[in-house]
Amino acid sequence: MLTVTGLHKSFGGKPALHDVSFSVERGEIHGLLGHNGAGKSTTLGIILGMVAPDRGDATIGGISVQRDHAGALRQVGAIFESPAFYEYLSGWENLRILASYSGPFDEKAAREIVDRVGLTKRIGSKVRTYSHGMRQRLALAQALLPEPKVLLLDEPTDGLDPEGIKWFRDFILGLRAERGMTVLFNSHLLAEVEQMCDRVTILREGRLVHEGTLKDLREEAPVYEVDLDPWDQAAAFLELNGAQILSPGRIALPPDADPAITVAALVGNGIRVSAFAPVRRSLEDLYLEITAAR
Amino acid sequence: MNFLRQLRGELRKLFGRPRSFMGYAVFVVMEALILTVYKFGRGQEYMRDLIERNGYSFATYFSSLSITFMIMTLSMFLLGSVFFALVAGDIVAKETEDGNLRLVMARPVSRLRLLLIKYTSIVIYTFTFVFFVGITGYLMAIAAMGVDGGLFVMEPKMKVFAVFPSWAEGAGRLTIGAVGIAISMITLSSLAFMFSCFKIKPAAATIITLALLFVDMILQNFPFFRPYEEWFVTWRMSCWLFLMENQISWPKIFESYAFLFGLNATLFLIGFTSFRLRDFKT
Repeated sequence: MLTVTGLHKSFGGKPALHDVSFSVERGEIHGLLGHNGAGKSTTLGIILGMVAPDRGDATIGGISVQRDHAGALRQVGAIFESPAFYEYLSGWENLRILASYSGPFDEKAAREIVDRVGLTKRIGSKVRTYSHGMRQRLALAQALLPEPKVLLLDEPTDGLDPEGIKWFRDFILGLRAERGMTVLFNSHLLAEVEQMCDRVTILREGRLVHEGTLKDLREEAPVYEVDLDPWDQAAAFLELNGAQILSPGRIALPPDADPAITVAALVGNGIRVSAFAPVRRSLEDLYLEITAAR
Repeated sequence: MNFLRQLRGELRKLFGRPRSFMGYAVFVVMEALILTVYKFGRGQEYMRDLIERNGYSFATYFSSLSITFMIMTLSMFLLGSVFFALVAGDIVAKETEDGNLRLVMARPVSRLRLLLIKYTSIVIYTFTFVFFVGITGYLMAIAAMGVDGGLFVMEPKMKVFAVFPSWAEGAGRLTIGAVGIAISMITLSSLAFMFSCFKIKPAAATIITLALLFVDMILQNFPFFRPYEEWFVTWRMSCWLFLMENQISWPKIFESYAFLFGLNATLFLIGFTSFRLRDFKT
């Protein structure tokens, strides 16, 4: 549904993206992760046609953003962190104006969406009187008005309270369940990404360092907590067999290693194995490992 | 249809902003002041002297039409230009600065169309502003001096002198003159629009526009530059005064408006090129 291929971009000679490629399948919620300055916003900017890549292309529903900007963006709704509306106009007027760039304004559909995002009572008020949460709901309404197939969310839950974050998450998951909507979700809140996303793309200094499911990521280098005696002899044996010693009592096995065979081999070499348990790492652990290691 | 819908939205934004109305309020106050001076102050003596020295009847030509002409001539270039530069200087740069433009650009609309909508809206703003000044000035002049009377036109710098004894002819000519002023002022709005498309602050777009306008105006008035006055933008913008002559010299007017039209198109194109090449990113 959404593909970026070989994206390169520099700003003032400083590379921001280097050969970034990934794809998002129809109906998938895909997380885009990376440090500040990793290239996430540049990638989103290229997908939305706001940033021109030096090389490479982004396609939405098979239509190139660079070649047919309007055709590609007709399928997209986007939300940005701290969406900037026309403060002196009402929420409804903002919706009308923004929707006019996508086609005729369907008042009935707009009322339904406003109702769905819970803004019915305040939609006639000036946006300057809205809280941050209300602005995000209005942003969601404007993004959904053209009935997009793809939603691009650029740090949409930043600044929301826990209730707001949960509401937002449930809303997006509901949209996917109902409409099979494709979502590209750029966020710093890794717990959110973990709960929502099927797959993730991780960028570091403008380069792609991982693309795949969280399961892939976990299995890429499964980590175990071990209690082995004598430790020095065990560590030397494990390293010889391709394992990585993360800290005393914590090891990462190669992806193709079978832990049962490893345990048997350790025992066969006279090492006492008191514990050998897989560690379930959070996305945060994986993210920090992956962005620090590569 | 889409263009008109988008233009309506753009006008709603433009006229929803308090600063777009600031100029209207300032002009009403200024018109009231000018009228007071002409009605009760020494302005009336000045007008009497001017009209009678040229051999015409003060009673016929000291009228609401003549005062409206004076108001528009005196105020539009000096004060009107500030508001045109302010509004047109904001039109792209302020939305870029505030971040509104990102929400718009995430829609299936080309940058060319986006700028055409914005440019059309400032052209409409320029026209409505000029006509607002003309109409309110005239209504206030009527309240102060009554409807009757002809139109007396004298502008030594552009060498324009004309009298219209009949009210109908004078009113018609003043309306044509207002259209001419509006067309001339579009050049100022175009200049501010071009700067607004650049990667600069909205205030900078306004200030640079006004600075260029005043430099052009000052240089044009230098004796040394007199032979080259036709090359100055402000001289071309004053060509609307030729519409007030008894015998309108259309070739002279078309020449100046063709010059201004070409300049406007060039300014739009430069602004568009800059806008087209820009990356928009947080």
